[in-house]
Amino acid sequence: MNIYVAGVATTKFGELWDVSPRMLAREAVTGALSDAGLSVGDVDALFVGNMLSGLLGRQEHLGAFFAEELGMKTPAFKVEGACASGGLALHNAINSILAGQYATVLVLGVEKMTDHKPEDVATALMGAGSDEERAAGATFPGLYALLARVHMEEYGTTEEEMASVAVKNHEHAHLNPNAQFQNLLTVEHVMRSSKITDPLKLLDCSPISDGASAIIVTGDKRPFGQTQGRQETGKNAIRIVASAVATDTLGLAQRKSLTELRATREAADRAYAQAGLGPDDIDVSEVHDCFTIAEIFALEDLGFFRKGSAAAQITRGSVSLGQSKRLVVNPSGGLKGCGHPVGATGVKQVVELTEQLRGTAGKRQVPRARVALAHNVGGSGATAVVHILKR
Amino acid sequence: MSSPVKIWRNQKEVARLVGATGVIVSWTIVRVPPADYGDQAPYPVVLLSLGNGKRLTAQLVDWEPRHLKHGQRVVTVIRRVTQPNTDDVIPYGLKVKPLS
Repeated sequence: MNIYVAGVATTKFGELWDVSPRMLAREAVTGALSDAGLSVGDVDALFVGNMLSGLLGRQEHLGAFFAEELGMKTPAFKVEGACASGGLALHNAINSILAGQYATVLVLGVEKMTDHKPEDVATALMGAGSDEERAAGATFPGLYALLARVHMEEYGTTEEEMASVAVKNHEHAHLNPNAQFQNLLTVEHVMRSSKITDPLKLLDCSPISDGASAIIVTGDKRPFGQTQGRQETGKNAIRIVASAVATDTLGLAQRKSLTELRATREAADRAYAQAGLGPDDIDVSEVHDCFTIAEIFALEDLGFFRKGSAAAQITRGSVSLGQSKRLVVNPSGGLKGCGHPVGATGVKQVVELTEQLRGTAGKRQVPRARVALAHNVGGSGATAVVHILKR
Repeated sequence: MSSPVKIWRNQKEVARLVGATGVIVSWTIVRVPPADYGDQAPYPVVLLSLGNGKRLTAQLVDWEPRHLKHGQRVVTVIRRVTQPNTDDVIPYGLKVKPLS
């Protein structure tokens, strides 16, 4: 069975104090339905990706919450896997279609983080780590700082090379009207920003954001009577040809290796096998740069560059829009530039890649993009989700 | 860990790991702490390797900058983790301090 992306949409990401989670969801879903040429009555099930609705907003039951808000009475689910919640929601939606359970499924990634104090959000985000890490007073950036130091000592990766990840992703975000940040950065800006958790500085870290993204996925079987959807014909049909998930230990201390995120590597290996493709086939990728070091790990663990060599490649412009001859990474601006409303990110990545493959990415368009890979991580690498899309 | 029952249940685990020596394999200094840790920041959080192939993540106490290096020997100790919660239970747990 083929899985098609029938419709996509995303809201602006940012500090959106006057926009509620309901408004975010309605905007994203209305956009995706309109893009697909469908109405809410055509949808068989709703999967919601979100991490913090309970801890911050005291609302856990999001399947029912958003189904009601959207005027749906279908089966509805909240799917959670820390920052991989969005990717996991899509994975589950695809599985439900492959199982023949539902035919047209709506995936909504949504997160509201800026209603709360940063220190409370930091505490909530540590729900992605282990008890031991919470007791140590570690923060989420702190965990990635521990990984960064090992990578720096093992491979000579420098703080300046890490900073160039932020510079590149802001260059891309500058071209994205939905991105939280449109300002350009220099390596010096990043190096001079305040230390959050050595060696990570403010501008090494993705922001706290609000936002929602939505995708409608369908299978080969025509789910609706006479209605014609956009997914049906020809070169605009974007297919999801792989969807893979892998799990590693919750906490860093229990990992086998500190220089790779094994969950990323396993999910990627499985996804490449599902698609019958390899890293060299990928034209454009959205990877999980929650912190600058995370993009460096990602490009190595996804097989794009040899272990220890990604930092220099990124600095050189090898994966930048307009400079790369082979692969562009994070054309949306990534988590750093576009923003990181936790549950929305995994879905936004696939929205961006769909636009890239359709050729509708405007100033961010990667020329002749035909195969795309989305990489979404939960916690410090406990969960990884990889999707591959093809035109 | 704000539930008194959870703190009580965890005591055996803490007691088991006290007095264990290890070496630092990675470190960071948390300068922007989560809620409840504001009175302690800035503090180092370290990843240490215990003899038996196991590792631990813990806050480093009684430290000087020279201790923040790969290979620094440390030992686990019992320290107060955060301020008492609303039940007036003081949460104690495992931290590490440098050796020599």
